[in-house]
Amino acid sequence: MRHKKTDRSASGPAATTVVVMCLYIANSAPNSVRAIANLEAICKEHLKDNFKLEIIDVLEYPLRALADGIVVTPSLAKMSPSPAAKIIGNLSDKSSVLRALGIQG
Amino acid sequence: MKPDLRPPNPNPSGTNAGRRFEKVILRLVKGGPERLAIEAGEIDAIVDPESGSAILLPEAQRALIERKSRFRNLVGLASDWYWEQDENYRFVSCAGATVESSGFGDESIIGKALWELAIDNMSEADWQTHRRQLEWRTTFRDLEVRRVDRAGEVRYLSVSGEPVFDDSDQFKGYNGITRDITERRQAEAVLQEPNRFSRATLDALAPHVGVLDAAGVVLLVNKAWRVYAATHAGMGTGVIEGANYLAACDDAQGGERVDGIAIAAGIRQVIAGERMLFRYDHACDSPVGRRWFMLSATGVAGDTAARAVVSREDVTERKRGELLLALEHTVARSLADADDTTVALKAVIRAVCEAQDWDCGRYFRLHPAAGELRFEESWGVAGVAVGQFLEKSRGMVFRPGAGLAGRVFQSGQPLWVLDGTQDAGVSPTALAPETGADGAFVFPVMADDRTIGVLAFSSRTVREPDDRMLQAVRSIGSQLGRFLQRQQAADALRRSEARFRRLTELSSDWYWEQDSDFRFTRFVGCGVLGAGEVFGKTRWELPNIVLGEAEWAEHKSQLAAQWSFCDFEFAAVHPDGQLGYYCISGEPVYDEAGTFTGYCGTGLDITRRKRAEIALRESEARLRALAGLSSD
Repeated sequence: MRHKKTDRSASGPAATTVVVMCLYIANSAPNSVRAIANLEAICKEHLKDNFKLEIIDVLEYPLRALADGIVVTPSLAKMSPSPAAKIIGNLSDKSSVLRALGIQG
Repeated sequence: MKPDLRPPNPNPSGTNAGRRFEKVILRLVKGGPERLAIEAGEIDAIVDPESGSAILLPEAQRALIERKSRFRNLVGLASDWYWEQDENYRFVSCAGATVESSGFGDESIIGKALWELAIDNMSEADWQTHRRQLEWRTTFRDLEVRRVDRAGEVRYLSVSGEPVFDDSDQFKGYNGITRDITERRQAEAVLQEPNRFSRATLDALAPHVGVLDAAGVVLLVNKAWRVYAATHAGMGTGVIEGANYLAACDDAQGGERVDGIAIAAGIRQVIAGERMLFRYDHACDSPVGRRWFMLSATGVAGDTAARAVVSREDVTERKRGELLLALEHTVARSLADADDTTVALKAVIRAVCEAQDWDCGRYFRLHPAAGELRFEESWGVAGVAVGQFLEKSRGMVFRPGAGLAGRVFQSGQPLWVLDGTQDAGVSPTALAPETGADGAFVFPVMADDRTIGVLAFSSRTVREPDDRMLQAVRSIGSQLGRFLQRQQAADALRRSEARFRRLTELSSDWYWEQDSDFRFTRFVGCGVLGAGEVFGKTRWELPNIVLGEAEWAEHKSQLAAQWSFCDFEFAAVHPDGQLGYYCISGEPVYDEAGTFTGYCGTGLDITRRKRAEIALRESEARLRALAGLSSD
């Protein structure tokens, strides 16, 4: 499985803040698959359509990961809104993820 | 970019290699959170900033290897070998356990496109379709090809493939799998053999055959049914597999409505098991005329979806033959019942018109002396136009070769015009007086191989006659011709008899007829007794005849021998007591079969002559007596 850009444009009101994220994974390795599933659930519950997510497979694009300062996968990088944040691991700690994304749990 | 699947040992724990790997990892991961995540087992891979490649951690690597292995196993279960093609659809790789036995292994397929291999079941059109699929970069599944392997056996292969693109979405070729489906196809062929046989048998049948389920939905039809459904209008049009035949019957319109209801009801009874067989004859109008069908519905027993087999046979030829035969019988009966020419002609023309659905007919009789055909009789359906047309026909005369009637008279052959514009060489205007601007059918009336008249029919419904129709009109023309000839002969005979009787009346006092028992049946004129006194009696039963026994005996023997007799004389006592003298002549009468039917003859009152003779004899006797006396 090669996840490339997965673009989910926000369809809500223009005034709504769109969270832009980048998830770095290693093909369909167990923690990567789990991280995708966890993030899917969080986005669905808390962000509805107001997020933009790019999934990068480091086995395919390792240089892209290095350029973004990513050393281990899975890792989730929040690009905007500020401040930027990074979460390492399979995203099973939901409260940490929400906090990093700036979402009130 | 290919992933780096280091380290080579997937299970490093407890080994030197494992410890070296951990050291590498710890050297790469300096951050606390990263190390914590690794220790918690939540990390799959680490990116080596020196080499620019990703390193899978042992657990992740094992999982991916296992997953890949499972995938290969699954693909292996679903296929016999894998292949890859380049962007020109040429095989660049081919691998699998059974590739050699498939028939593809005995030649090098590398560098060849699929259509360049020895495949014998694909037409050029099939290959064009396949190439179009490839050009559209679509995934194709189960393309079935057939080829003969090295052992000379036919192999069936199912090929599936999907397009491959690189990172920049550039088409790179196709990857796919191939399965050997020879055994399955052979098994299917064995299973389908009876079906093919049944289908071929059904298709070979001339009647339209369809199989219905319990709801009347058509499960199966044969070729004849399919052709009819596609080419004919009316009830059943377009009803093939999947359509509901009963619904089509229920929805029949116009003249077919009654037939549709009856057929649907009958078939429903068969489906319900209330009857095993339902038969129904019905007619359909088509551009080429009316056609008749015999429909049969037969119940189907057993544990199957089929509930009724409907067979519809085109019996038009037979039906037309029956109608024409009935017409010939009607004509024969009409002629047998007719006692004069006018009645016979009208009856025949009407019978033909009604049987053929024609508007009107006319008879033109040959007048030999003038050498021309003259209008004699007609019949037509009620209507102003037909009436006017027939009225204009009165007084119409055709010379041989002139007009349709004249041409038929000259050739002695039937002639038809399908409508007022289709007779080659004759303009519609010229034909209009004869055809009424419609179609016409003209045929000769023959007697003793001579044309004695012409029957001309006009109608919009005139169509090209078949052999049976031509046979029928020849029969009708001959029947009518013989009748008319007999009538002419009878008329001549009647006229001759009338003349003869007038002559007889002039030369005799009465005319008489007797039956085969010599009893008087007719008595015309003035004879021994009145007609009322002699009917039903023989001559020797008359009360006042004076004749000796010997003379009666001789006369009776003559009659018994059926001899003619001439000038048989006898006396009869008149009411005044005087004798009258009579002389009769007679001859036996026979019917057409030669059977004796009696006598006919004439009688003369010779009383005056006989009395004169008697007086003369008495005078001579007296003279002789006187002379004798004087001589004495």
